[in-house]
Amino acid sequence: MRDFIIHEPDNIGGACSLLLEFGTQARIIAGGTDLLVDLKQHNIEISHLVSLAKIGGLKSITTIGDEIRIGALVSLNEVAESLTVKKRLRALCKAAASMASKQIRNQGTIGGNIASAVPSADLPPALLAAGAHVIITSGESERKVPMSNFFYGPRKTVLAVGEILTQVVIPSIGKKTAIIYKKFKLRGANALAVASVATRITVAGNLIKEGRIVLGAVAPVPMIAELASEMLAGQIPSHNLFFRVAEAAAAEAKPISDIRGSREYRKELIQVLTKQSLDEAFKRATGGGD
Amino acid sequence: MYRLITLNVNGDLRTVAVKPNTTLLDVIRDKLDLTGTKKGCGLGVCGACTVLVDGETMSSCLLLAANMEGKCITTIEGLEEKGKLSAVQKSFIHSGAIQCGYCTPGMVMSAKALIDKSPNPTEAVIKEALGGNLCRCTGYVKILDAVKNWKTYSELDEPEMKEYDLEDYKVVGKSLPRYDARDKVTGRAKYTADIVLPKMLHGKILHSTIPHGRIIRIDTSRAEALPGVKAVIIGKDVPDRQYGVSPPRYDEYVLAKDNVRYVGDEVAAVAAIDEETAERALELIEVEYEELPAVFDVYKAMEEGAPLLHERYPNNINTSVDHHFGDVDRGFQEADYIKEESFTGNFTQQAPLEPHASIGDWQDGLLILHSATQVPHYVHYMLANVFDMPLGKIKVIRPTVGGGFGGKAETTPLDLISCVLSKKTGCPVKMVYSRKEMFLHNRGRHKQYIKMKLGVKRNGEITAFESKIFLDGGAYTSFGIVTVYYAGSMIPTLYKIPNYKYTGRRVMTNKPACGAFRGHGSPQPRFAFECLLNMICDELSLNPVEVRRINSMEADYHTCNDLDIRSCRYKETLLQAVEESGFSEKYGQLNDGHGIGLASGGFVSGAGYTIYRGQVQQHSQKPREPFQKKSIFPHANAIIKISEDGTQAVLFIGAADIGQGSDTILPMIAAEALGLPADRVRIRSEDSDISPIDLGAYSSRITLMGGNAVKRAAEDVLAKLFPVAARLMNCSPEELKASDGFIFSDKDDTKSMEWAEAARKYFNDNSSLIGTGWYKPPEGLGGDYKGATVGTSPAYSFSTAICELNVDISTGKVDVKKFWDYHDCGTPVNPMSVHGQVEGAVVMTTGEALMEDMVYNDRGELVNPNLHEYLLMTIKDTPEIFSGIVDSYEEEGPYGAKEVGEGATVPILGAVAHAIKDATGVWITDLPITPEKILKALKENY
Repeated sequence: MRDFIIHEPDNIGGACSLLLEFGTQARIIAGGTDLLVDLKQHNIEISHLVSLAKIGGLKSITTIGDEIRIGALVSLNEVAESLTVKKRLRALCKAAASMASKQIRNQGTIGGNIASAVPSADLPPALLAAGAHVIITSGESERKVPMSNFFYGPRKTVLAVGEILTQVVIPSIGKKTAIIYKKFKLRGANALAVASVATRITVAGNLIKEGRIVLGAVAPVPMIAELASEMLAGQIPSHNLFFRVAEAAAAEAKPISDIRGSREYRKELIQVLTKQSLDEAFKRATGGGD
Repeated sequence: MYRLITLNVNGDLRTVAVKPNTTLLDVIRDKLDLTGTKKGCGLGVCGACTVLVDGETMSSCLLLAANMEGKCITTIEGLEEKGKLSAVQKSFIHSGAIQCGYCTPGMVMSAKALIDKSPNPTEAVIKEALGGNLCRCTGYVKILDAVKNWKTYSELDEPEMKEYDLEDYKVVGKSLPRYDARDKVTGRAKYTADIVLPKMLHGKILHSTIPHGRIIRIDTSRAEALPGVKAVIIGKDVPDRQYGVSPPRYDEYVLAKDNVRYVGDEVAAVAAIDEETAERALELIEVEYEELPAVFDVYKAMEEGAPLLHERYPNNINTSVDHHFGDVDRGFQEADYIKEESFTGNFTQQAPLEPHASIGDWQDGLLILHSATQVPHYVHYMLANVFDMPLGKIKVIRPTVGGGFGGKAETTPLDLISCVLSKKTGCPVKMVYSRKEMFLHNRGRHKQYIKMKLGVKRNGEITAFESKIFLDGGAYTSFGIVTVYYAGSMIPTLYKIPNYKYTGRRVMTNKPACGAFRGHGSPQPRFAFECLLNMICDELSLNPVEVRRINSMEADYHTCNDLDIRSCRYKETLLQAVEESGFSEKYGQLNDGHGIGLASGGFVSGAGYTIYRGQVQQHSQKPREPFQKKSIFPHANAIIKISEDGTQAVLFIGAADIGQGSDTILPMIAAEALGLPADRVRIRSEDSDISPIDLGAYSSRITLMGGNAVKRAAEDVLAKLFPVAARLMNCSPEELKASDGFIFSDKDDTKSMEWAEAARKYFNDNSSLIGTGWYKPPEGLGGDYKGATVGTSPAYSFSTAICELNVDISTGKVDVKKFWDYHDCGTPVNPMSVHGQVEGAVVMTTGEALMEDMVYNDRGELVNPNLHEYLLMTIKDTPEIFSGIVDSYEEEGPYGAKEVGEGATVPILGAVAHAIKDATGVWITDLPITPEKILKALKENY
């Protein structure tokens, strides 16, 4: 790793001004599990790191009304094991638990997993499915950004220079609704998603009221399969319907070929994972909430 | 830039100066000298650097030390209390969970964090907790056992002796824990990268960035001007002698003299005050290349007009083998059924958890090399050759080695460059490969393109077999000349094949060289052969067990390619594995993506001939001698010295323990032969000044060859001791026996004395009690054709593996459920070690079958030079494994022992492929068998 200077501000405003001051020469370090890998491999070159370690208030999971608020520095393992999260959005716990290794999950943070904007990241699909938003601060003002508007491209987000993602806010999931996360990986541990799907279904009586299908690792950003999602609204659930929706999701996916899988294979995986997640989500939604 | 921080490490407050970019791992290792925490990948994948931070496991290579103030850090060194091991450490020792030991500290830390929170973890929870700790040796089976049963194991005062049924022996046949396990589980064991010498500098290599080219100009001036840089060397600074493995194919320079031939070729090197400075200096070296056309494909490389890598290898053919034994034309005419099929292997790499490391220390008139090597003697010989100096002026030290699997079976650029840099600077120079450099250097398994044709009678009896193999060898020869012969020679050792034709071509391409990897040359052809045999069984509706049985190799058989099989219990491995697994009831009968598959294998117990010809002498000074069908010098040599008080024996033998356990097996053999309890023999194997030559850990040779030398050294000790004891007991030396610390008369029960007392008396009158022993393979091994030496051995092992698995038909994902393996290793000297080798081989090779693959792009660059994307099996991917040993005795081996380490890999690829066929109905003939390939084949077939 090249030399750099570490700044350890003790308040968020201080962190934002440091980021503004050093611009593209600075990066935020939270858990560091993505950043240090990039620095060690010289994928990025910077001269300043702004550590969030000494800033209070970013490490807790709280509930306000029906909302869950997760601080950006909450570790992936804390997310995976949080009873609060498990009760309301089990898919997020599962997504966190499926990541990397115990060591990395103890180090890595939810904020980092989102802000790094790696296309195969595990938490964003479940969060998009849940309709979550993030709180971004510039030190002087805060803004709320829906997760669905957060990503621009691989490693590109709406975060402006001087801005920090401080919280993830998960709204109430609602009754008769279930969210399921499915991921395909090439080995048991320490493996990135080759493809992933987070599916949300709300049922009303015998019908599906609405649904949302979010795809991971098959596009430059975690993407909502809009057409596939729309096919669910107001429909009578059936094997046939779910099969067609899964086909539609695969058609919408825009994967690339790389060492983990070809474009065609990823599309097939999306179809399989979508179908499985629809089946499971429907089952759980009719069983009463996630 | 530096700032003082205070860390709480193992309960002590330690103040150190760090830079902001210093990782916690580097502080622990370099500043606090707590070298138990290991560096395996540097990128948070392997888990070797796991420490506890406030009780939670973390990868210290991805933590900045500056961020760690105020946290409680625990390293492996912090687990002992006043010299007493923690429960989990004891459990690792007693369960046999430790082999090379390089993953052990990280593994133990993960286990400790787990059982501190949940003392009775389920298997699933253990696998989750240990999923981030890679192990390359054990197959995780005993690690899982150690964590699951930590209470039971830790409460044992003495390790439980799971004895094998060998009534005649006191030590041989006992499942003793490794002699070095305690050092490895406490972090005390010193690997090469852990060693610090006075005035030591750090070296790094500049690698070629292009696949093929001529070096026009190198400007090192900016690098030399960088403060902290002590030396920069390029091609002109290294000897003009080439090196390699086999003398007729020495084709590498220490640094490129003119041409570079692959991305990664060594162009220049730097020695500096620390690794970071050396790396900065590399960036300041300017190299101008004239890029030449490159070739990456085996078939294209052989075409007329293809870019030529070396003038001396026309058409890029490095080695050609054309063998024909018997008459295949007649054999195919006699066949009732003939099947031909093509198979493709994969580029896989040994990927030991410990990266290669060397410390060159060129002193006045003495060159000392510390090296993480499997073959200290061949490295020694190579230094003498390259630097043209007598072997006597060089000493090679092999510290604890963290796995090898063939990757450390040849002299590395680090071995040679560290010496050149040391000579130039007058300081010791340490050089350690990063994980990426491990992949750039490679020397992994050759990718083989295989065409096979097999003829059988209606009942499956083999009448003829023909094999044509092209091996992609990369840019240099390395071990390849041997590999291409092994790819052919091992096939007729398992089944009786009357007529056999083998055409082998090792082809050079602009990629890193391939070398020797566990099972050397034979796993991929064996995979192909076993698949082909199973295909024929399918097509003729024959039973794959019965077909193997009727073709089975037998004891005292002379193969068509002139190899002499002595002991052989192949049939027993087959039948016992079939019975234990219920294969016959399950095969073809399992549903829903379940399948079971069977394959067999075998290997040499040590190569019959040395790698270089003639005596131990500088290569340049040896007269060129014609090849003789005998070994000129002993392959293994041992000295046993008895302590002056008679209580302890110390065994000296230069055999390389790289994790396979020879530092335990050899003292056990010595103890048995001396008649002493196991704990009264220690071993010194690490220093060429102290211990005589053993050729090293390759060709699965140490138990048989080293063991024989040790046994003879012990017999030599007794031959000197018995006359003294006989005088003291008033009897004749001929009637004496030694066992369990006593010497006694065979004829008279009243005549007995303590071994130690007899030895003391010996010392009083004769000075030191020392015995020597040696082993040469039998003379005349092998036939009289070109290449007949490869495949010769004093003894052969046999094994059968059966694999049960599940395939998710919708994604192609394979879940390996269970393996059954029976091995004919002769007498198991230490059954726990035998099982450990088998379990490790099963998991390693299942990984090769399913996921390991080095992928190159069209510029010859490796796409996945890291453990994120070069996939090793984790504990979560590991099947349950049953390992059995058949009753067998090899006359040529010590106490009847032969090999297990390499042979255990050989049947695995075929067993996995067969099980996938049984599960899905499709054969996948190119490795690795990825989910994507399975799904594609399923779509094409249904």
